[in-house]
Amino acid sequence: MGAPADLPEAAIRRLDSSAFSSGLSVPDFAACLDLGLQPVGLVQGFCVMRWGWYGAGSGYMRGLNPYSGGGQSEGAYVETYRCPHGFVSTEHRMWGQNLEQTWVEEAWSQGYGSAYSRMLEEATSLGAHGVIGVVDRVTHLVDAGTTEFHFLGTAITVENGPPPAGGVPWTTYLAGQRLTKSIEAGFMPVSVAASMASVRVWAYCMTEYLMEGSRGWGGPTSPYAVDQVSKAHMASIQLARKHVRQQLSGDMLHGAKIEVVKRELAQGDEVVDCTLRGNRMRRFKDFDVIPPARPTVRLT
Amino acid sequence: MSDGGTIDARAEMLSGATSLASAAPPSSTRGVTSDLSIDEALLLHGAGWEPVDLVCGVAVVSVPMGVWNWGQGEIGVASEAHNAAVKGASEQLQNECIKAHGHGVVGVRVNVEVHTHHIDVELIGTAIRPLEGGAHPSAPFVSDLSARDFTLLQGAGWLPVGLAFGASFAYAPRRSASDAMKQKTQNVELTNFTEAMYSARESAMERMQRSALDVGGQGVVQVKVTEGPMHFARHAVGFTAWGTAVRLVAESHQFVRPDVILPLDDAVVTFAAQSLRGG
Repeated sequence: MGAPADLPEAAIRRLDSSAFSSGLSVPDFAACLDLGLQPVGLVQGFCVMRWGWYGAGSGYMRGLNPYSGGGQSEGAYVETYRCPHGFVSTEHRMWGQNLEQTWVEEAWSQGYGSAYSRMLEEATSLGAHGVIGVVDRVTHLVDAGTTEFHFLGTAITVENGPPPAGGVPWTTYLAGQRLTKSIEAGFMPVSVAASMASVRVWAYCMTEYLMEGSRGWGGPTSPYAVDQVSKAHMASIQLARKHVRQQLSGDMLHGAKIEVVKRELAQGDEVVDCTLRGNRMRRFKDFDVIPPARPTVRLT
Repeated sequence: MSDGGTIDARAEMLSGATSLASAAPPSSTRGVTSDLSIDEALLLHGAGWEPVDLVCGVAVVSVPMGVWNWGQGEIGVASEAHNAAVKGASEQLQNECIKAHGHGVVGVRVNVEVHTHHIDVELIGTAIRPLEGGAHPSAPFVSDLSARDFTLLQGAGWLPVGLAFGASFAYAPRRSASDAMKQKTQNVELTNFTEAMYSARESAMERMQRSALDVGGQGVVQVKVTEGPMHFARHAVGFTAWGTAVRLVAESHQFVRPDVILPLDDAVVTFAAQSLRGG
């Protein structure tokens, strides 16, 4: 099986070479050989996306009354808040909304998924059974609004092992001793799993007042829970967890890393983005309970 | 695949790879999510626990305008807002844990952000439950202890019962113009500063201990203390103290009896081969 034809020429030459390259450290390389894994090449995948989600034309602009229909997708998280004051002025925020930005999530998934599948294409062309020690990176390039997704990993074959179902290599962020321990414990990596959730907060009058510390119209003078923002923040984490769970099909997500980024836009308006990634693992044998760990004290 | 207690890693790998050679049947089982490392999962399993779900709690509490203006003594409203935010986030985390049928949450990552007009608290951890099941507690424990520390604590006959938190914000005291002039050429203790900071620190710690008692704890372990001026109001200083409230569940404390090990590798290299070359 040759390298995909749409790769850069240097990549085709590298993948066709008889030497292998690997991103593994020496201890990880040794542990990999010990497991019967044979490195066949360093594989990678890229995708650069235009990242112009939040500007004009983002699909949902303030001023569009949510009661007369909004830009939300079916089944997406949306919560609407009503002003308790009635009409005050045209500048008064009569309504507020927490809205899942599905178009942002789709763009992220597209970028992440394309880079990932390109890495898999390279691995498949090498006849790999799996990719270990995967590193993924999402970086913003020089050009404003441009984001690069990058995957890098070491393609391996399993000694005397059968090819994976459908010929699609399994993938994992793990390598070395951590991979060995997980296999010994009965967990086989299936794939890396990741998701992103984005929630936009359109503050209504009360949220606006609370977030800028003013009393506003009948606002409290003592500390007060800002429900709209708390809920948006919670929702972004819960949505990321929900999206990643949809990829699990009953398997487990181990070693999850969760990252929440908030961007305050103005007067209570903000965007909360949550990224969740981890190793999708499948139990292939009954778990052998390890004996209770023995505490030690080290003399130096 | 055990043979005399040892594991044949190659055989296990092959068996794992073979399990992926055919497509898995569709499953409606709810996938478990966890931020535990494989070491932590194994340790917990050895101690009779398993992860259930990644859970979170978030609370944002407003701080009214004018709170950070110059004043004297403690900034009570800010302290109140902080403690309310932690309590709110902790309750949400417990609710998520109950929904996931967990008995408690370990490895909670605590993230507190103090802004001029709001205090944000985010708690994220992994809900766990005993392998043998058992009745669900009405109030699951919340703990920022790692799985390793949790296992060790359990081995010693203790269990976490909740997060203990305390905060105190205080104004840096001002000196009179005459005092400031007098002290300009002196090396003296600024007693009003000492007293104010001392009192604010003690208040934070006292509140932490009180919150430990409120959740039924007998003490607090792994206390972290943060302090420093607010970036938006340099004349205001914030102190926070938090840790995991613990309770003795065994009849008495169990001594863990650690084995003493003496590593043979040198902690400090006292000889470098290059030195022979006069380098």
